[in-house]
Amino acid sequence: MANAASGMAVDDECKLKFSELKTKRNYRYIIFKIEAQKVVVEKVGSPEESYEDFSAALPADECRYSVFDFDFTTEENCQKSKIFFIAWSPETARVRMKMVYASSKDRFKRELDGIQVELQATDPSEMSFDIIKSRAL
Amino acid sequence: MYGGDEVSAIVIDLGSHTCKAGYAGEDAPKAVFPSELSTVGTFGYAYVFINVKRCSGKQFDRNGAAGALNFRLFTIPSLHATKTSEVKFTEVVLTKVSLWLFFAVAAHEGKEDQIELMLVKVVGSIDQMEPDDPDNSDKNSASIPDSKSVVRPFDADSKSVVRPFDAEKSKGKRKLYVGSQALGYRRDHMEVLSPIKDGVVVDWEIVENIWDHALRDCLLIDPKEHPMLLAEPSSNSQQQREKTAELMFEKYKVPALFLAKNAVLTSFASGRATSLVVDSGGGSTTIAPVHDGYVLQKAVQSSPIGGEFLSDCLMKSLESKGLTIKPRYSFKRKEIRPGEFQTVDLDFPNTTESYRLYSQRVIAGDIKECVCRAPDTPYDGVNPMNTYSSCILSFAESSYSNIPMTPYELPDGQTIEIGADRFKIPDVLFNPSLVQTIPGMESFAETAALVRGLPQMVIESINKCDVDIRRELFSSILLSGGTASMQQLKERLEKDLLEESPQAARVKVLASGNATERRFSVWIGGSILASLGSFQQMWFSKSEYEEHGASYIQRKCP
Repeated sequence: MANAASGMAVDDECKLKFSELKTKRNYRYIIFKIEAQKVVVEKVGSPEESYEDFSAALPADECRYSVFDFDFTTEENCQKSKIFFIAWSPETARVRMKMVYASSKDRFKRELDGIQVELQATDPSEMSFDIIKSRAL
Repeated sequence: MYGGDEVSAIVIDLGSHTCKAGYAGEDAPKAVFPSELSTVGTFGYAYVFINVKRCSGKQFDRNGAAGALNFRLFTIPSLHATKTSEVKFTEVVLTKVSLWLFFAVAAHEGKEDQIELMLVKVVGSIDQMEPDDPDNSDKNSASIPDSKSVVRPFDADSKSVVRPFDAEKSKGKRKLYVGSQALGYRRDHMEVLSPIKDGVVVDWEIVENIWDHALRDCLLIDPKEHPMLLAEPSSNSQQQREKTAELMFEKYKVPALFLAKNAVLTSFASGRATSLVVDSGGGSTTIAPVHDGYVLQKAVQSSPIGGEFLSDCLMKSLESKGLTIKPRYSFKRKEIRPGEFQTVDLDFPNTTESYRLYSQRVIAGDIKECVCRAPDTPYDGVNPMNTYSSCILSFAESSYSNIPMTPYELPDGQTIEIGADRFKIPDVLFNPSLVQTIPGMESFAETAALVRGLPQMVIESINKCDVDIRRELFSSILLSGGTASMQQLKERLEKDLLEESPQAARVKVLASGNATERRFSVWIGGSILASLGSFQQMWFSKSEYEEHGASYIQRKCP
């Protein structure tokens, strides 16, 4: 356990939805939030939704955790996908919220088995589509 | 266990320069005072003499008998020469002024007229004592500035030989003054001590006194009732942590304890579980990479160049130009006519060197905060990597000769003009070998040669981390600590790092725009953490301590 971890609990729904995203691929993204001492699922996106829809779904001044299933084609023309974990913590969020999300992240991430790339973003430029693409390769 | 809302926890961040203490859940610490404290050494105690004839035993009445005390304060260095035959300890509580005086009463045997000698340990300040007896008021007030180190003769009727304590006993009872107010008051032979050297606690007695002051005098709480969250330096050793746990549970009897790493708290408070924390405080600068809430110990870098070092440099540099900072105690200033002041110099030959330095540093620190800013570029064309070349000396002054002078008014009314030093002093952070060009700082030149500049330390630290996380560390460099409030420091660090970092890295230096958050980021992080409902299960509780012992802290607070 990390030093100064918050001890936040994780709702079973989070693990369930994540494994559906991973195995059945029936969601494009999942957004999680912390509510009443617990990490819960806030929103899920259907597979048809794009990366823009996903980034628009993140609130501008509140922190969130999110998982995004990124489909791409490699240079060898090979269809691939990678699961991104993005910790969204905008500069304008309240310090208390940033602290809660940052100190609970390690524990929460361990619950989600199968994350391939991890990002932390404090403004939209840190999770631009270009960065996602460059990290996937 | 969910009890966070009922009893708020106490959060203490004991830095090398200032101690920050307050209640968890609040936005800023309630008490901020110097981590240094002063002590009147093995001689120069304040002795209280009681004329037994006049107070006839009443003084040992526990309830506010202070009024009956007819005492004066003396400072008698020579007292340690003789030995005590009998020492009796009596505790008198002066409820009225809420002071604790620990009286050690040495009764003098074999003489008809008994004079009782008391050694007083004053916790807090004796200055607030109210004289009850108008007859004694002048004596009392005269006794207050014990700086007047006059040995007064006794009343004529008491031919007394005073028996003091043996040196060992009194050494264990050195008189300590904590807090900015107590430190602001000059006393004879008073030394200023710091409990922390190079980020590590070296004197636990001083630390205890600081905690006492924070808890009992500033926050006015009973530590038995509040869980305690302490911020600790990233490089704290196992023994230090166990010692802390032991003290907290045994001496303060806290119900629960948590030790959180400075760098982790700063990182979390900015919303990142992974970051490179550049903490430039008073006594040192530490660079610690944090990954997913763990400090990567092997990559931690630190240097002794912090705010105080810069203040010293500024002071020496001003001195070399003939501008001496007069400590506040060394003069009196009064308004003789509206708008016109007269300054009278006072002479206190018994002031210690450390106290004089402390008082001058306070002023130098203020000058630094007012006028200094990090320069955008290092000295003309001198590459910070090979600054050890001799050419630096010739460049030093010329490169800043065209900087406009800024006036600063010293406490004694003297206005000084500060030019090149405004930029040169902060540049020491980036280029420690500049110290050689400051007259009076030669003694540090050797140290400076071993210390690297801020950007080099950052890069070295990152290079010691795993390749996979380097990219992320470069893009989240967090500036915190008091010195981080220096204007343009963030911009300069970012610029220097851009030049020296690998091409692919995306360098981003972050600092909270809010000055309070920048300065207190560690404390604020601790405050939020300790107030989280979910955190209440994470505390290292008293019962766990009793069951597993102090070493269990390593498991509970890794």
